[in-house]
This record gives sequence, C-alpha cells and structure tokens, in this order.
Amino acid sequence: MEEIKLNETPVRTSRNFNINNIKLDKSIIPQHIGKFENVKILGQTSKINVEKTQNNCDLTYGLGEILTNQIKEKANQNLLITIDSKINKELQIEFTLDSKNPNLLDNINIIANENSRGTVIIKYTSKENLQGFHNGIIKVLAKEYSEINILIINLTNQKCNNFVSIENTIENGANIKYTFVDFGGKNSITNYYSNLIGEKSVNKVNTIYLGKQNQVFDLNYIGELRGEKSDIDIQVQGALKDNSKKHFKGTIDFKKGCKKSTGNEIEECMLLSETAKSLALPMLLCSEEDIEGNHSSSAGKIGEKELFYIMSRGFELKEAMKLMVRAKFNKVLATIKNEEIRNEIIAEMNNRLD
Amino acid sequence: MAKTIIEEINRNIYDIKNKDEYDFKIQKGLTPEIINEISKQKNDPEWMREFRLKALEVYNKLELPTWGPELSELNMNEIATYVRPKTKLNNSWEDVPEDIKNTFDKLGIPEAEKKSLAGVGAQYDSEVVYHSMKEDLIKQGVIYTDMETAVIEYPDLVKTHFMKCVPVHDHKFVALHGAVWSGGSFVYVPKGVKVDIPLQSYFRLNSPESGQFEHTLIIVDEGASLHFIEGCSAPKYNKINLHAGCVELYVKDNAYLRYSTIENWSKNMLNLNTKKAIVGENAQIDWVTGSFGSKISMLYPMSVLNGKGAKTEFTGISFAGKGQNLDNGFKVIHNAPNTSSVVNAKSISKNGGKCTYRSLVRINENAKNSKSSVSCESLMLDDISISDTIPVNDIRTDDVEFSHEAKIGKISDKTIFYLMSRGLSEEDAKAMIVRGFAYPTSKELPVEYAVEMNNLIDLELEGAIG
Repeated sequence: MEEIKLNETPVRTSRNFNINNIKLDKSIIPQHIGKFENVKILGQTSKINVEKTQNNCDLTYGLGEILTNQIKEKANQNLLITIDSKINKELQIEFTLDSKNPNLLDNINIIANENSRGTVIIKYTSKENLQGFHNGIIKVLAKEYSEINILIINLTNQKCNNFVSIENTIENGANIKYTFVDFGGKNSITNYYSNLIGEKSVNKVNTIYLGKQNQVFDLNYIGELRGEKSDIDIQVQGALKDNSKKHFKGTIDFKKGCKKSTGNEIEECMLLSETAKSLALPMLLCSEEDIEGNHSSSAGKIGEKELFYIMSRGFELKEAMKLMVRAKFNKVLATIKNEEIRNEIIAEMNNRLD
Repeated sequence: MAKTIIEEINRNIYDIKNKDEYDFKIQKGLTPEIINEISKQKNDPEWMREFRLKALEVYNKLELPTWGPELSELNMNEIATYVRPKTKLNNSWEDVPEDIKNTFDKLGIPEAEKKSLAGVGAQYDSEVVYHSMKEDLIKQGVIYTDMETAVIEYPDLVKTHFMKCVPVHDHKFVALHGAVWSGGSFVYVPKGVKVDIPLQSYFRLNSPESGQFEHTLIIVDEGASLHFIEGCSAPKYNKINLHAGCVELYVKDNAYLRYSTIENWSKNMLNLNTKKAIVGENAQIDWVTGSFGSKISMLYPMSVLNGKGAKTEFTGISFAGKGQNLDNGFKVIHNAPNTSSVVNAKSISKNGGKCTYRSLVRINENAKNSKSSVSCESLMLDDISISDTIPVNDIRTDDVEFSHEAKIGKISDKTIFYLMSRGLSEEDAKAMIVRGFAYPTSKELPVEYAVEMNNLIDLELEGAIG
C-alpha cells in the first residue's frame, strides 16, 4: 500500500503524536475522473452571478500537492461566483455524486465585491452505497466591507472520500462567516485557511461534525491575523459514535502588526462510544504583543446526570443521546435560515445517530 | 502607555568562570573509540561499556527532530563529552578543591545544605565532586549516591531500572545520553520511608565546548515519599555547550515524589534534556519547574500513569529573553483507570525571546474514569518576542473528563490602571503583575528556592520605564 501524507499542520510537533498530517492509502484517489454533470444551481440573479469558468486554484496551504494538482489538471466543475451588492436571496449549489457522476473535482471561486452581502450554500450528497470521490477547492475574496455567509454541507455516504481545501482573503472591514455541517465521507478531510489581511476584518467559523462506524474526520483550520483589530472565532462541536475518529488541528496565528486583534477557538467533542477517538491540536502562535488569544478544548461522554434526567422523562437511552447531541448542535443549526436545508440536516443527523 | 523594559536576569553569580582545569578531557567528537575511552576512564563494568556502544549505534541511526527549534549549530565534532575535574568524590566540602568549592559557595549550595536539605550532590563538569546525606536517612535505608557508585554497589537495582523508563530509542539525544552519560544521582527510598526534608543535586558545567550528560535515577518504593530538587547552571562561553541529561523516576504504588527544577543554564547552552516518571497504583508525581537559562531548550517531562488511581501535577514557568528559544512543556499518558493529571504552565517572553509550550495528554482506552485538566498562560512583554502554544490532546475512550484551555496576551492596561489608582507607580504595578503571574510556580517551591527563582525573575524595573 502506497501512502500519501495530507493536510500538514503549519507548524510541526513530535512525529510520535501522530497529528502533523494524515496518512491515507494513495489508491483512494482515482486516476480517471470523467465528467460531472449532476449539479443544481438555485437562486442565481443579476446581483449574484455564477460563471462556469476555469479559476486560479493556487493555495497557500491546501491538502497537499497531489490533490491540488489534480484539481488544476482535471477539475470537472469550475464556478466563479460574483456578488456585487447586498442581496438577501441565497445562492444554492447542490452536487450529487451518483453512478454516472462518481468523481467530483470542483473549483469554486467566490468574490464578494466592496460593500456587498450574500449567502452561498454548497451541498454535497451521494447516492447510497456509491464509492464516490470529492476533491474541491473553494477560494473566497471578501473585498472591503463585504459580508458573506457560506454554508458547506457534506452529507455524502460513508463509502465516499471527501476532500476540501478552502482559502479566504478578508480585506478591511469585511466579514466572512462559515458554517460547516460535516457528516459524510469514509474520510472527510478539510483544510481551511483564512488570511485576515484587512483592518477590522472578521472571520467566524462554526462547525458541527458527526461520525459513526469507521469514519475519519481530519480538520485543519488555520487563521492568520495580519490586519489591526481583526478577529477570528472558531467553534467546533462534534459527536463520535462507534469506531469513528476525529483529528482537529486549529491554528490561530497572530502575525506581527495585528495589534488589538482577538482570536478565540473552542473545540468540544462528545464521545458516544468507548471506542471513538478524539485527537486535537489547538495551536496559538503569537508574534504580536497587543492581542488577546484564547483556546479551549474538551472531550468526554455525555454527562450521566443529564442523560438520567432526560430518561426519567420517559425517553430511551438512544433518544436521550440524540436529544443531547441535537441540543449541542442546535446553536449552529439555528443559524441556518433555510428551513428545508435545516430540516434535511436534522433528519440526516437523526438517521446517523440511530 | 510607555513600554516597560524588563532587564535581563542578572547572571553575575552564575557566570563566574573558573579556569578550564581538568584531570582528563576526552577528545571532541563521537566515535566508538571515544566511547570506549570514556568507558575505560570511568572503570565501567563490561555490561555498561556494551550498553554505551549500542546506544551510539542507535544515535547514529536516529534523525534529528523534524520539529521544534533549529539545532543545526550543534556539531558533536566540536563537543567534548567527558571532562573529569581535578578531584575525586568527596563527603566533606573541606576536601573539595578551593576553586570548585568557591563556585558552589557562591551558588549557595553548602549554605542550603545546612539550612534546609537532607542531602546534597554536587556535580562539576562530568563527575560528582561532593555527595552527602543526613545520618538518620542512612539508618532508614535511604540510598543517595552518585550514579557511578550505584552502578558498582547496587548493580541489580541499576540494571533493572537504568534506561528502562527512558529507552535509548526514544529519541536521538536519549541515545546520545546512553552513549556518553556521566555523573548524576541515584536515590532509593525504601518502602514506607518518608523523607520529609528535600534532597538536592546541583549540576555545574564549567568547561567550554563540552557537554554534561548526568543520569538521575530515583526509585521511591511503595508507600514512601521524597522531594528531590535539581539545580543547574553554567558560565557563558562563545561556543555551544550541550546538556543532554536523563532523569528516570519510578514512583511505586502509594508512593509520592515531588521533583523540582530550577534551570539556569548559560545562554550558549543547548538544553536537550529528557525526564520521565512511571507512576504506580495510587501513587503521585508532582513536577515543579522554573526554566530561565539556555540558548535553546527542548524539555518535556513526562508522567506515565500506569497504576490505578495514579496522579500527576505539573506546575511550570519558562522565561525567555534575548536570543533564547525555550521549547518546553509536559507529556502525560493515562494508562490505567481512575488516573488524573493537572497541568498549570506559564511562560513569559521578552526582548525577542521565544517561548513555546508543547504538550501531549493521551488518555488510553483502558484509562476509564480518568480526568485531565490543562491550563496554559503566556505573557508577552513586548512586540518583538514570540509565544506559541502547541498542545496535543489524544483522547481514546469516552469515560473521561478532559479539558484544556490556553490564553495569550500582554499585561492588561486595566489592571495596571487599577494598581496605579491605588498609589503604585507603573513599574511597581507591572512588576507586581509579573511576579503574581509566576507565583503559582514559586509557591510550590521551598522558600529558599522560591527566593532563588524570584531572584532569577529579577525584574530590576527601577528606572527601566522608557
């Protein structure tokens, strides 16, 4: 078996800690990609435009050369999304992996022009039992004083492999808010990088993940603060069943010059079985004095007292656990305004917790 | 608000250099011939000579770490790994040569021995030059001696424990240590014996372009207890010195060990030290560490909680100034049910110094009902310094309570304002805050050592507000 190393952390630590990267069997990356045509784009208007055009996909970090080059050479979905003004209507892109379209290489660029506002929802699903493959790059440029919400939903099945590299550039006064719903994939590997170059630039990230059976999540989030008074806030909540595993690598890097900036990172993992595993590396790197950085990380099972309370109200253990997970996730789910999508996520969550 | 300039630590006492006089100094470099010569000079038994040669083979096979501080300036061909001072092991300070005794006098070791210690070991370059322990502890069966004596007089105890807790394959500098170790202390506390007053070993490296590789092996037997204090310093030279010591601690069932370190190596020292404790059922190891010296430090004491109900606490502070890169931290493996760990780590970076807190908490599948709580705080005293926090939390079962929190920032303007509104000057307010920041570590030390640590944090703020 030939291994590839993916998703390297920006700073290495001891190799014995098994977190600098993730090693996967190289054969999971298909050589023949083919076309991908099962995509729906909803909510396009003159103010939020989608063009099918080849984009620059150079990345500062990314998952690794092999996956980045695969998109450069073989991307089968290229989308350039431009938001020109303040718009309340959501743009929704749905990719569905099926037997005719098993391999998706998407390269999406989103440009939010000055003072614009918009929401983009990108959803990945797959047909049951399909051994699909997704490798995507999403690059976002938030120009001055723009405001953009991005919701990324991964509901692929547990036989698919899901790889996503994200890179954000955030200018003065701009604000990017991300919500990740990461439930799918045999391996779900995300590299997320935000470059807060602008004064008062803001980046908020909320992630929920849910693992079962032998799923592996490898989340590598990197925020570099350069602009003065910039602010990043990363909150990751997850639950792991069965033999599932999660690696969370979160780096907040205060670069010289980012005076009066703040960075916060909270990572919480609920372990729903005695064989589930949580590995976390919440890093704070600091080359600037006048900043405030905090991180916290916790892991453990659902409190027995809480479960007992719910069960004393007539719920069975499984139902009580579901309620506790949903309660944890609700803070994120409540921010999803699109009711249809929210309900789909809740149904999928209940299904995966059964 | 004006910047506070925190002065470098006053190192006058520590920087006193004696003439580089020795009885024997091995040639620089690292070859089987050199290892054989060290072994011959030390009158090693054959098993130890073979052990050294095997360790050298491991050293040659292992890579330098691919993480942490840059170590390219370390050239083993420029380091003499064994320097025997011009004296034998003595039991009385009167017998220690004048210049060496003066050094330890200035460091306050004989004085501390009289006032607050149950025993003292003092190493100068590669050999222990003084060792002594109170009579009543000898009567209770406590052994406190230099490692070389232990190898000869307690071969069974040494053979079963020496480099078993820290195997030579752990990393490159442990393998190096295995090949060239010299000096250090051996302590055995018999079952049920409580050593109420601390023992202290002090390690002084005087010789330039050399290394110190002392080995500390402590066995605290069932139900026994001990507080062991380790101090180290060296004068500054222009070329690199190397410290690659190894500390192996066995804390047997129901035993207690507190291991305190005040580390103040000179700013040309690479401190690549390894410390590890294996902790038995209902036993406890507490680490208290103040790390102030060295050009580069890579030091991560480790507790392996192998017995049910084993506990560990780590309380440490690192203070990095100009030209220093202190990459310190802590590792704990929960390897049995009902184990617990508490970590309280702090760092201060100033004047271009870099502090990194690097750690591992691993709770294994079998460590049901275990608890771990980690807190680390970093204080930046200017905008040219660096402070990083790199913790790994590896949780492999559900029945645990684990939490980790870290924060990083500067001295709060509001707190300074508050203190100034109560009549303190700005410099006094800042000094008070920095001392308060270090207090959780200093309060864990015996008072004499807390004073030494406070001296090391010697802020000398008067007149330093720019």
